[in-house]
Order: sequence, then C-alpha cells, then structure tokens
Amino acid sequence: MAENPSGPPAPGMPPPATTDGPRSTRSGPGVVLVAVYGLLALAATGRSVLQITEYFSRAPLAYVLSALAALIYLVATVALARGDRTSRAVALVAISVELVGVLVVGLASYLAKDAFPDKTVWSHFGSGYGFVPLVLPVLGLLWLRRTRSS
Amino acid sequence: MLFPLTVVVLVAAVCLMAVAGWYAARSLVVDDRLLLVAGVTELGLLVQLVVCLVHLGRVPGGGAEQATFAAYAITLPFVPPAALFLALKEKTRWSMGVVAVGAFAVAVMTARLQQIWNLRG
Repeated sequence: MAENPSGPPAPGMPPPATTDGPRSTRSGPGVVLVAVYGLLALAATGRSVLQITEYFSRAPLAYVLSALAALIYLVATVALARGDRTSRAVALVAISVELVGVLVVGLASYLAKDAFPDKTVWSHFGSGYGFVPLVLPVLGLLWLRRTRSS
Repeated sequence: MLFPLTVVVLVAAVCLMAVAGWYAARSLVVDDRLLLVAGVTELGLLVQLVVCLVHLGRVPGGGAEQATFAAYAITLPFVPPAALFLALKEKTRWSMGVVAVGAFAVAVMTARLQQIWNLRG
C-alpha cells in the first residue's frame, strides 16, 4: 500500500528512502498508526500518572498495569516512528506484549472483578477506549509484517 | 464549562475530521480551507483553555477530577498544531489521516471535559 503506486510521484516529493530492505514503519499509512499510538500513549500516561499519584491504594494491581500499558505505548510509538532495524525489533516486542496484555487483562477484568475495582486502559478489552487497544496491536503486527524487507 | 463553547468546539472538530477524512480519501493534501477549519478549532480550544482555568476551582470531585480537567484543557490546544505540523511537513494523504485522528481526539476530549463539568449536579 504505497502512496498511489500507479501514478507518477508528485513533483517535489522526495523519492522513497529505501528501495530494498524493509520499508520505514512510518511511511504511508504507518504515520496514522504512529499517531494513534501516540494518542494512546498520551491518554494512558496521563491516566496512569493520575491514578498512581492520587489514589494508588484503591486498586494497586490495576494501576500498575495501567503504568505498564502506558510504558508499552510510549515505547511502541517511538519505535514505530523511528522505524530503523533495531526499532522494528523493539516495536515487535512492545506490540506483542501489548497484544498479550490487552487479552490477559481484558479476560482477567471479567473473571476476577475484585482485582479490578477501577478501570485501566486494557480492562474489558479496552472498551473504555472504543476497543482501540484491542485492534491496535493487531494492526501494528500486520503493519510490521507488511513493511518487512521484500 | 460553557455549553455553547463546547458545541462550537465539537462542531469545528467534527468539520475538521470530515474535511481531513475527505482529503485523505481523495488524496488531497493540506490547503487553505483545511488550515482555516483547523484555525477555528484551535481558536475555540484556546478560549476553552482560558475558560477552564478560570473555573477550575468549581470543578466537582476534588483534586483528581480537577487535575484531569486541567490536563485535558491544557493538552487539547496542542493537538491540532501537532497534526498540522506533520501535514505541512509530509504532504501525503496519510498525514490527512493523522489530522482526522487528531480532530477525533479533540472531539472526544472536549466531550469528556463537558462530562466532568456536568458532574457538578
């Protein structure tokens, strides 16, 4: 899904940075993915800082997981935005942890309600965030796959 | 929060989202019309920031709610310029997608702001 592969490149557009090797993860639609990750990173960090500073004792487990989610989103955002070889590996790990996290925490928030008296980004599979936290890691992994060296 | 102001910001943000989404679909890049809509949105957000900070003491629910309220109000005006900066730097349809995502976030956060304010009862 490069930008308009059939048409000629727009005048003044720089040529693609790499022709062989992996495509940058922020090229094309990747930039939207980075933006959504950035937004979630912002939302999760804000929420997490508030939870831990204002009322940590209310739900320690949930809030530690909130902080972990925030950290994962920050790492994934930066890694996807950088998009070099090392960053791809970092992004792969971060997004995999994210996928496992949202699935495990999502399931646990239904099964062990007592441990989650307050919501986190990942509880109930991210329903408080329009299920974006559930969809995003899948898109992220697909995107990493698609931009692999061809 | 002034409800009419919230409505103005929401309408502007939805317009920005629609225009950016349309541009992304049509492979158009940033132009004066998009900048105008973004500018109106930004103006609304700046007025909203001032109003929010002035009325911060009347936010119900104690410190945590007030902190959330202030954080939303302060973060919001940064969103359109960040998205527009990218749109001006990278003139592709995909940066229009970023503007649309940013406009959506503005709408959601503004609605949340009003929600917190309404808790006054």
